[in-house]
Amino acid sequence: MTLLAPRPAGARPTSPAAAPPTVQVINTGLTMAALIALWLVVQLTVLGSISHDRAQTLLYRDLRVDLSQQTAPLGGPIEPGTPVALLTLPTIGVEEVVVEGTNSGDLRAGPGHRRGTPLPGQVGTSVVYGRAATYGGPFRELPRLAVGDPIVAVSAQGTQTFSVIGLRREGDPLPQPAAAGVARLTLVTAEGSGPFARFTPTETVFVDAEAAEGFGTPSAPTAALPPEAEQAMGTDPEALPALALCLALLLALTLGVVAVRQRLSAVLTWVIASPLVIALAWITTDTAARLLPNLV
Amino acid sequence: MRRLLGALALAVTVLAAVPAVLPAPTSAAAPTAVGTPPERAAADGYRETRTLTRTFTDASGEQRTVASYDVTVSADTTRDLRGRQRVRISWSGAQPSGGRAANPYGENGLNQEYPVVIMQCRGQGEDVRPETCWTSSFSQRSQLLRSDLESVWREDAAADEADKARVSGLDPIPTEQCPTADTNGFSSRLTEFVAANGTVYPACNADTMPPEAAVGAAFPPAEVAAFTDEDGAGSVQFEVRSDVENESLGCNNTVDCSIVVIPIVGISCDRQEGDTASLSERACRRRGQFAPGSSNFANDGIDTAVGPALWWSESNWRHRFEIPISFGLPPDTCDVLDPRPPTGFFGSELLAQAGLQWAPAYCLNKKRFKFQLNITSDAAGFNLMESDQAAAAVVSSEQEQRGEIPVGYAPTAVTGFAIGYIIDRPDNAGEYDSLKLNARLIAKLLTQSYPASDLGRGHPGMADNPISIVNDPEFIRLNPGLSRIDQEAAATVLSLSVSSDVIEQLTAYLAADPEARAFIAGQKDPWGMRVNPAYRDLAVPLDEFPLLDTYVPETQDSCRQANPVVYLSAVAAPVTSLRKISDALLDGQPNVQTRCEFDPPTGTFKIGKIARQSYGARFMLGLVSLGDAARFGLRTAALETRPNRFVAPTPQTMANAVGLMTRSTPRGPFELDQADLRRSSNAYPGTMVVYTASKLFGVDPDTARSVSQFIRVSTTEGQRPGSGNGRLPGGFVPIRNGGPTAKLKKAATEVAALVSAQDTRPPRQGGGDDDGTDDGTDGTGDSDTDTGTTDSGGTDVPGDTDLPAVDAPTDGAVPTETPAPTTDAPAEIDVVSTASTRGAEAGIAGWLLPALLLLGLVAGGAVVLVRFLVAPLRAARTPGSGS
Repeated sequence: MTLLAPRPAGARPTSPAAAPPTVQVINTGLTMAALIALWLVVQLTVLGSISHDRAQTLLYRDLRVDLSQQTAPLGGPIEPGTPVALLTLPTIGVEEVVVEGTNSGDLRAGPGHRRGTPLPGQVGTSVVYGRAATYGGPFRELPRLAVGDPIVAVSAQGTQTFSVIGLRREGDPLPQPAAAGVARLTLVTAEGSGPFARFTPTETVFVDAEAAEGFGTPSAPTAALPPEAEQAMGTDPEALPALALCLALLLALTLGVVAVRQRLSAVLTWVIASPLVIALAWITTDTAARLLPNLV
Repeated sequence: MRRLLGALALAVTVLAAVPAVLPAPTSAAAPTAVGTPPERAAADGYRETRTLTRTFTDASGEQRTVASYDVTVSADTTRDLRGRQRVRISWSGAQPSGGRAANPYGENGLNQEYPVVIMQCRGQGEDVRPETCWTSSFSQRSQLLRSDLESVWREDAAADEADKARVSGLDPIPTEQCPTADTNGFSSRLTEFVAANGTVYPACNADTMPPEAAVGAAFPPAEVAAFTDEDGAGSVQFEVRSDVENESLGCNNTVDCSIVVIPIVGISCDRQEGDTASLSERACRRRGQFAPGSSNFANDGIDTAVGPALWWSESNWRHRFEIPISFGLPPDTCDVLDPRPPTGFFGSELLAQAGLQWAPAYCLNKKRFKFQLNITSDAAGFNLMESDQAAAAVVSSEQEQRGEIPVGYAPTAVTGFAIGYIIDRPDNAGEYDSLKLNARLIAKLLTQSYPASDLGRGHPGMADNPISIVNDPEFIRLNPGLSRIDQEAAATVLSLSVSSDVIEQLTAYLAADPEARAFIAGQKDPWGMRVNPAYRDLAVPLDEFPLLDTYVPETQDSCRQANPVVYLSAVAAPVTSLRKISDALLDGQPNVQTRCEFDPPTGTFKIGKIARQSYGARFMLGLVSLGDAARFGLRTAALETRPNRFVAPTPQTMANAVGLMTRSTPRGPFELDQADLRRSSNAYPGTMVVYTASKLFGVDPDTARSVSQFIRVSTTEGQRPGSGNGRLPGGFVPIRNGGPTAKLKKAATEVAALVSAQDTRPPRQGGGDDDGTDDGTDGTGDSDTDTGTTDSGGTDVPGDTDLPAVDAPTDGAVPTETPAPTTDAPAEIDVVSTASTRGAEAGIAGWLLPALLLLGLVAGGAVVLVRFLVAPLRAARTPGSGS
């Protein structure tokens, strides 16, 4: 970060070596590559986790209000991003508000309820996706669940306690068909293997849980498959226009900074520009992250 | 500054390039649509809800209800029970128990408050009286010489006047046998026991109880004063006794019995006589002194009015739930009822529980032969079959063939083995029910690598090993929260001393695990434990696990000096049959032969089995068959297949294992490759198929007909789950036409045809296959077998031959009139074969984080390199430019 160290106002920006342009270009290119790569890592893990925590706090508050006023959703088409249930997995210490929708963007706020399936606790098989590594990785520990572990879901119809009936990975047989009146909950996330398992979630893993008596389903869920962006490991190409806009803004900001720099001192320029750059970089990365697979 | 701005511009381009790196969305579909099968009604079992109230009547005669409970009692299986089978009884809505005893069975459970008394009684309905209910001590039945403070039954509002007399119950009191019963100033009540043959036992001391209730009787008490948890629910595995185990109680297939469940809510008290309550009136109105959920290890006195001892008193007795139970035919039915000579099948004990239920379906049907299953080792059974001394062998793997005549293996049943266990959690928290074991732990137990006690501590080469498995960090990691108090039984797993395919498969499971293999080869485990040097480099798999240790401890103990034994072999003390291991687990009595004591009558020292383990501190592991485990309600351990993947024996995991089995030779057995099993994550390693092996040429026609009939009947009619005659007991997975077991069914049909044809000549072994599938070539043999099977039928099971994979409705195809005396509901376990999970992959996007980190660090490093190395170098080369 020597880059950000302010220089004395009058000093000419000459490197000690007065390096030829090729070296300077390579040097600058490498600096930027390092900066962007590390920023992305920090954003996806540390900053993403903070924004996830904040989103959860807000969602929890909203859900509380919805539950107390009995306005929490019961089924039917629900606006994506609306909190629908509170999911607690005591064995792995997870308590997350589930939002509606499973595209890569929705899952930044927390686990997402796959549209077209019943809500958690209702009769039928409800599917909830959650990220494993980025944005707080709420479902990181999911593969540690064992058969019999409880899962508690609080939703508009009350509290439902599920018990885990099995873990599946690719190729494992699906669970036995559920009996009538049973509520199933399938939690989906990704997991990695090898030495960097925690940071390389590449394979899907499914946890099935069952509760003997499901709540009624107020309206029949739409049976159609959701768009590809909302399926497991789906990416959200709809982010591309937004991303283009963000990048254009970033470019505009750069030009603006150049203009400002000609009139004001470097210190002043940095004071003005830094918050804007960070905010814009944050938004840009968040948008770009929608292009990542939703379970990563 | 310009450079910075340029850098920012570059950032924009790189960010724009990010999406290009990301993969296109992969097609993925989570399995959401899962069909729901129609509900099946459970015909077996019991469930009833009743309202139980306790009332006090005060001096004015006003009745006041002080407690009221809606108690629901249910039982899982009630029909065709066998001796020692365990019935799961659960209840809810009862008053939580207080002052819980460490051991609630028999008289040990008397000092508890608000327990649920569960007993087995002879008779059903009107015939059930306290006098026909079994207790294993007189103090559970009779109250002798009680002071006013204790004689609360005399205040019972519901009781007759006669029962409130100072001396009540058995009339007249047999003064010779019970001289103290009628003593002035004290109250007594005798609840006699009436045996099945009419003998009346007054039950006023240990001598006036039936012989089965003698001190140290063969079986531990089964009746229990069970706990109700703080949420009002509770459950217990209640062991029923047939007249084989308890002749005085006398329950069998003709004498119906009941399980009586009495949730104790307290005696309802009579009208108070005076203004101030008398001693006994006050005692009757006590409501317990222990908090719900508390323990009473010190066996302190309790408030009798809410204790279990007065279960017979009318206000308790009328709160009873009677669960009618019926017993199946005794094991010797065929010998008693069928005079024909039996056709002997010899071999695997895995089939024992199925054989018990199948045999009457043959011998009671005159059109069939008389089936007899004799248990030997698999190899011995096969030899007997080859030398024509047995009609067929019952084996569960390929056996070494001595003769030339081809042998066919017909799959007959799918079952297996398990590591059964009984482990109490510390602090009276009940039994542990989720034991996990991996191959290395089993290897440690089998190779006697735990020193077991101080006596084994001097064993060479094992100085750093934990004394027993409970202190092995590997075990603690898998099973946290268990007691760490060492006991000898925790250093071993009770296993078979004889050759068996079960041992072969168990050791194959060890051999397939790299960690277990390395441990046996002498490598330390991560915690420094080493294999017993006597077992080092033991070649597994093997079909008989040897006792190789030679270490005899040196002690000052004169008894052990007089009886020098190889200590760890005495701890292991394997037995000859799986059933003995099941019994040991049921009784909580390990077969550890290390008790050394002086025997006064002979004046010598002797070695014997250690005592029964006490409730609350039991720890025992044993190798059991899944049939036994299901019959007796034994808990079974989940075994590790892949790292951190533990698979318990369930119909589904067993069916998965069957799905992995392959057959290398036609007519041969299917083999389960443990390496395949480790790749699949959800198949139980102990799954075994039991085969009927029979020669395909030169067997006399009668025997061939019987064997072929057995194969056909057992793979059709015999695969209907249930507890009745001819049905498939628990612990077995039905062989069906669809799903993973279809290949077994097909193989059985083929071999059955070849057995009845008997024309697979040794020289032309390959040719027999084609004849085999259609069974219409040979005149006499075939027509006979055919009648055999159809006649089974009035009984015939038409639907059975086409059970599809997702079935349920086809169960209705099984006719309701079945030949055997049973009206069981068909098919409890249905393994539906399901599609496999489709996963989705993140591709390289999954590696994004490490890749970005690496890229950032490499680029950052390069920048530093350029700035501080390349630049100064240049500066040095261009003189004068520095300042």
